[in-house]
Amino acid sequence: MSVLVGLAVIVPLLAAMVSLGVRRHAFLRDTVVLGSLVGVTVMSAVLLIQVEANGSLVVRVGGWLPQLGIVLVADMFAVLVLSVAMVTITLVEAFSIGQRRSTAGADPTVAAPMLMVLTAGVALSVLTGDLFTLFVAFELMLVASYVLLTHKGQAGQVRSGMTYVVINLFASTLFLFGVAFVYSATGTVNLALLVERIPELQTEVRWGIGLWFLVVFGTKAAMFPLFSWLPDSYPTAPTTITAVFAGLLTKIGVYVMIRFHTLMSMDDLGTVILVIAGFTMIVGVLGALAQDDMKRILSFHIVSQIGYMLMGLGLFSVAGVAGAIIFVVHQIPVKTVLFLVGAMVETDRRSSALSKLGGLVSSRPWLAVAFALPALSLAGLPPFSGFVAKLALIDAGVEAGTVAIVVVGLVGSALTLLSMVKIWAGVFWGPQNAPAFHAPESEEWAPRSATARGWSTMSLATGAAVALTLAIALFAGPLWDMSERAATELLDGEVYVTDVLGSER
Amino acid sequence: MIADRSIVVQDGIRLASPLAIIVATMLFFGGHNQPGGGFAGGLVLGAVVALRSATGLSVPLHPVRMMALGGVIIGGVALGPLVVGDVVLDQYIWETTLPVLGKVKAGTALIFDAGVVLVVLGLIVAMLDALAQGGEHRTTLRLDAEGDREADQ
Repeated sequence: MSVLVGLAVIVPLLAAMVSLGVRRHAFLRDTVVLGSLVGVTVMSAVLLIQVEANGSLVVRVGGWLPQLGIVLVADMFAVLVLSVAMVTITLVEAFSIGQRRSTAGADPTVAAPMLMVLTAGVALSVLTGDLFTLFVAFELMLVASYVLLTHKGQAGQVRSGMTYVVINLFASTLFLFGVAFVYSATGTVNLALLVERIPELQTEVRWGIGLWFLVVFGTKAAMFPLFSWLPDSYPTAPTTITAVFAGLLTKIGVYVMIRFHTLMSMDDLGTVILVIAGFTMIVGVLGALAQDDMKRILSFHIVSQIGYMLMGLGLFSVAGVAGAIIFVVHQIPVKTVLFLVGAMVETDRRSSALSKLGGLVSSRPWLAVAFALPALSLAGLPPFSGFVAKLALIDAGVEAGTVAIVVVGLVGSALTLLSMVKIWAGVFWGPQNAPAFHAPESEEWAPRSATARGWSTMSLATGAAVALTLAIALFAGPLWDMSERAATELLDGEVYVTDVLGSER
Repeated sequence: MIADRSIVVQDGIRLASPLAIIVATMLFFGGHNQPGGGFAGGLVLGAVVALRSATGLSVPLHPVRMMALGGVIIGGVALGPLVVGDVVLDQYIWETTLPVLGKVKAGTALIFDAGVVLVVLGLIVAMLDALAQGGEHRTTLRLDAEGDREADQ
């Protein structure tokens, strides 16, 4: 079974290279990309079942000892996030095959191979067992994202892509410095060995390392006050690309933050993280309320929701961390499906500005349903997955006696609902504005609407993604058990160390 | 073009090209235990290709296919050990004594490195192509996308 752990990283990379070779041949390329994504999804599902039943799987790449080489660790937390991430990417790729037939889509000759590189980066950052490989995985993910963001070369994309690249490169540089600091302080970058060595350091050094990585991972995760690059750059990309970014990139940032800070027992930082979490929730949602474009509102929401995950982490209790984990699992598909609906609206009406839209509820009733369900879930209303996740967090907050963050979280939820109502009123209700026909700037860029077949592929993918978010609510019980187990393993640390180092200690 | 002005530069680079290939080969084989390897070798070749393209000499064709082939080789070497039941990226080393060369040690890492050379060289040529095409590049991309759409339908 441990074969699958290595395959989950190498198969997407191999598929990226093969699809690069056949990038001009639409059918072959799509088959390779979609086929390998489905394959990886199945593999991660098998891993989930396997790890749930028999405990973590550890692969020593090239057969080297953990002290010398790279280890890939598929523990409960990793496989949980990996499976949701892979299902989501697969659905987005299916969607983009449908959307391709309109000009709103990404250019597949570039986007398809790069999406696979991004997938490999996601898989590697989730599975890796040492800090340096994590750095490499982040770079893999980011290099792909630079290309995906700017490949169409439109002015807005290049301008905001510049901010995106500069900030992310800066954060990566800090990351590399951080890895060097950790190595000089402890003599290793392997997470399992660090679990043993970091608590032995002086308090000041531990604080330094903890805060340093909080800034590094926080920039990638777009937490307050390091989020300004996100709402600026995400809405400019082709919408399918934004859907992948929104669902995955920031969540991987949070994922590694949860992994690093819990395993290294950075409990002292709890209060700092909670304060940041509160600000992230409120500032993000206030930003969303001020926007008048569907994609921009949703982009600000990414920031706001990050706050809830940080809140769970900041509590440093099993209930809190488990809440954060289930929140990540719920957010990945919900955020993606909202952007997919945004992409369908854009393909239908050729705009995502609230003022130019309206009346979709009568012309596209199913699209309205596909928006309403995840939107209510995002706001945290029962019986959707968002309710389960938020309830868990609020519960953990009350239990820990941190009332302030609970109140902030609830206010944030109410404001989230308000901004979802804003989208609903602007896009789906109201008089049906005729699609505004601007004279296209040049013949070359004339918009082209989707074909009937393309539209049905898009609907099918969106429907499947909505079904996935509903399934998360339906299987909340088992998912909660898994999150709780993952949280216990992370906070204890001993399980992880024994799994990775085994008998050679 | 520099070549229009200076025949010295053009001939110099043409004569230096085989030497660069020798240096690159040396780096490539030395890389296992000493500084060098596929990446360094690929970069040396890439530097020569960049000079050649600046002076209007011929450069390798189909850079993207070269990258893809290199990547597939790398992926294959990574996955190969799984087929015989070993871990990902495991390596095998053979030692023999050949005439002239003496004792020779070769591993699967060498094939991996060959893939790296192809990727690095392909990337450099692809970048040179993109730079040379400049503004035209976007139209080519769009034409490709159009072609895809027709192929799809």
